[in-house]
Amino acid sequence: MSAVRIIADILIGIGGIFALAGTIGILKMPDTFSRMQASTCIPTLGTVCALLGALLFAIFNKGDAGAAVKIAVICLLILVTNPLGSHALAKGAYKAGIRPEKKMEVDDLGRDLYGD
Amino acid sequence: MQKTKIPAVVSTFLVCFIFWVLLTWSFTAQELIAGGVVSLAVALFSARFFIHEKAFWFLNPAKLFGGLFYWVCVFPVELVKANVNMAKICFGGCKKINPGIVKVPVDLKSDYGQAALANSITLTPGTITMEVTEEEGQTYYYIHWIDVTAPSGKEAGDAIKGTLEKGLRRVWE
Repeated sequence: MSAVRIIADILIGIGGIFALAGTIGILKMPDTFSRMQASTCIPTLGTVCALLGALLFAIFNKGDAGAAVKIAVICLLILVTNPLGSHALAKGAYKAGIRPEKKMEVDDLGRDLYGD
Repeated sequence: MQKTKIPAVVSTFLVCFIFWVLLTWSFTAQELIAGGVVSLAVALFSARFFIHEKAFWFLNPAKLFGGLFYWVCVFPVELVKANVNMAKICFGGCKKINPGIVKVPVDLKSDYGQAALANSITLTPGTITMEVTEEEGQTYYYIHWIDVTAPSGKEAGDAIKGTLEKGLRRVWE
């Protein structure tokens, strides 16, 4: 087992830990928006760490440039598209009238735009 | 609807073509020509939606290195910090949260800069940009924040996006 292989394995493990944290958050958070916040852990450090590990593995153990480039592009596309989805979901949920059960301490959006 | 301009078409074509080459990763003439034709068609039809300002702003070395510095040094550090925070909250049973939506002033003027800042904020766990408004020339973001520690306005803005905005100002000002 080479040193690169060990580093790649550690990175994939770290990614798994963050994905686990995000999943726990999705299951245990009290309201829609907080759940969405916790889920952001999964595509950012969870996926990116795992893909970095795969990238190291592809470059140094397989020597496969095509696979390495594809992994890098996947990483880039996830980082670019994920915030668009989160933003659209959060705004859509708020517009559709979903509010947390326990009232939020500060809610400027409701005060200014929706007249809560 | 604005008109299609040549520099905008060229830059959109370059981006499409680079992505084509990266994804196929084969350099035979047939593949490259097919990619070129498709990229050109896409660029002709969609350039006016993508490029609203100068098409080749990134050729300015100061802005290029500002952008590289931001996406290689500034943003990943903030991302890891926020991720560790969120992981702590999640493993601790999701008890220590105080969610709320705060209104925060933003000083970036350029559309691209504002979009990049909003995306960076949404990508950091713990904050989601929900709405953008403009009042009397000042842009405001409404940000859902998992742990509200400062009242709305400048103070909350510094806590959420102080470093990010400073890094982005080097690129888009």
